[in-house]
Amino acid sequence: MRRLSLSTRLALLFAACTAVVSLFAGVLFDRASEAHFIELDQQQLETRLIGLRRALQDIQPAQRDARLADELSRQADLSLRITSGDGQHWYDSSAHIPKNLPLQPGLSTISTDGTDYRVLRAPLYPDTADSPQLTLLLDITHHQHFLQRMQRLIWLTMGLSALATALLGAWAARSGLRPLRRMSAVARGISAQSLDARLPEAQMPPELAELAHSFNAMLVRLDDSFQRLSAFSADIAHELRTPLSNLLTHTQVTLTCPRPLEDYREALHSNLEELQLMAQLVNDMLYLAKADHGLLVPKREALELADESDALLEFFAPLAEDAGIELSRDGQARIDGDRGMLRRALSNLLDNALRFTPSEGYVRVRIVDQPGAVSISVENSGEGISAQLLPRLFDRFYRADPARQEGSSEHAGLGLAITQSIVRAHGGQIHCESEAGVTRFVIELPRT
Amino acid sequence: MKLLIVEDQAKTGQYLRQGLTEAGFNTELVADGNSGQQLALSGDYALLILDVMLPGRSGWQIVQAVRSAGLDTPVLFLTAKDAVEDRVHGLELGADDYLVKPFAFSELLARVRSLLRRGSAAPQETSLQLADLRLDLIRRRVERGGQRIDLTAKEFALLEMLLRRQGEVLPKSLIASQVWDMNFDSDTNVIEVAIRRLRLKVDDDFPDKLIHTVRGMGYVLEERGA
Repeated sequence: MRRLSLSTRLALLFAACTAVVSLFAGVLFDRASEAHFIELDQQQLETRLIGLRRALQDIQPAQRDARLADELSRQADLSLRITSGDGQHWYDSSAHIPKNLPLQPGLSTISTDGTDYRVLRAPLYPDTADSPQLTLLLDITHHQHFLQRMQRLIWLTMGLSALATALLGAWAARSGLRPLRRMSAVARGISAQSLDARLPEAQMPPELAELAHSFNAMLVRLDDSFQRLSAFSADIAHELRTPLSNLLTHTQVTLTCPRPLEDYREALHSNLEELQLMAQLVNDMLYLAKADHGLLVPKREALELADESDALLEFFAPLAEDAGIELSRDGQARIDGDRGMLRRALSNLLDNALRFTPSEGYVRVRIVDQPGAVSISVENSGEGISAQLLPRLFDRFYRADPARQEGSSEHAGLGLAITQSIVRAHGGQIHCESEAGVTRFVIELPRT
Repeated sequence: MKLLIVEDQAKTGQYLRQGLTEAGFNTELVADGNSGQQLALSGDYALLILDVMLPGRSGWQIVQAVRSAGLDTPVLFLTAKDAVEDRVHGLELGADDYLVKPFAFSELLARVRSLLRRGSAAPQETSLQLADLRLDLIRRRVERGGQRIDLTAKEFALLEMLLRRQGEVLPKSLIASQVWDMNFDSDTNVIEVAIRRLRLKVDDDFPDKLIHTVRGMGYVLEERGA
């Protein structure tokens, strides 16, 4: 089933509210006027009763009828029945008086043959036990007609006002929801080329400002990711273009004229090196792509971080000894994680640190066991990294050393990005701090 | 010793066959899953190299058929898809090893040799030797030409690996994995440095060099004469 539109829903709600309110008011008015009429009738009947009692007090039976007719003739809508104490009809002022009248004393309302009466029954002599009973009947048909007209009017008013508020409500809702339509228009206009569109948050009503804010924040995130992705694709193409063009040129040049065998072998070797770099690059990029798609799911094995670090330091020991760099580790902690992935992450950091540490320097791994988290830092001495470069370090293909920017084969600049992906896949964070000749990469892993 | 390659990409198949043949293996190549399975089930092969995506019948189906026929021929999978679940799936079905394209041929060759060796339990050696280089596994000592050479534990492990697989070109990734248990792609030059340092102790003082670099492929320990 199609859901009702917001405007329709609001209009219907408005209409329902108006209907309920006007119905309530109408019913109240109806009840009040009826009560008012009853009160009026009662007063009138009681006044008459007193008059009649007085008239019948001291009168001979012979003159009674004439006196009564006289008394009653002053009011055409009033009739009277007098019954004896044991219920026998003594007197009826009119032939139209219904046969059966209520027997209980006091005021009541009856309706016969299309005529409505207010009836008051009272003893003629209030102090005598079996006094004859007076029953006064007041024709109130016109009152009832008025009330019925009133009720019809109430229903009509209710219906009309509900309709009117529905229409007004629909109009109000439509104009009230205009900011939403504006939002939808902006959303409709957004595509990969126009991710920079934003909603005017200041012009939004307070209720929608938050939504507009979230919407804009989403656009910012999308824009950012999209920019990164585009930059990444462009970088991939660029990074592959250099070795590809080397391969093409070299192969074509080699084939242009006959050469000694050794030259061919040399050409193939050189091509092989390019190809290996390209294979490595493609594998690294696939690894990052997997991480981007959330496909990098770490195993959770119990790891002694001190042991893992020592194994890595042992691996890098020949390199460090050669370069005259001191390697050390302090602290220990236990964590659940993926051995292969974490080793890879740390190995990238160590490799990086060793590359930028001068001879006689040091590289130190420090493991800090905190409640709820473990931090592993890789710290090296040497020229620091300037503060404005720090946030870009983990960008793909970013190389802090401008001398090695282009085409230099050795490092594609994906190592730190891969490390970051691995840390994030473990639910952790990584950052770099650099000051006064010490650069430190800090991995923080939550203890799960 | 016969190897079966089932690979539908003609170029890949031919190069693999050429490489393995030149490495001294008797190799047969088919391009579709059905004939691949037929041949695999004959039981004539010492090793199966299977592509996962094949026309007719996937590599996984073949390994399943081979295993349910009760054959324990080692199986090496080649695949372009590097999804963890694929790897796990392949290994669950009874594959012995797994290589993701693009891979280096030297890597494939080293793995093929490992798999073939796995079947025949090597006799318990107490020492390994090549020319005048001798490695005593029990006393953990190395001598060359009667001269004692002091090695660190990792250098000893590295030399032991080279000696056990003498004549084979060992890619850097395999060395990192076997000696240091580092099983990831890394562009670090640690292995080069480690080999250089080992060479310094083992080869430098002797006219006959034993450790050789095969450019772009890895390292090999063999006697080449002067």
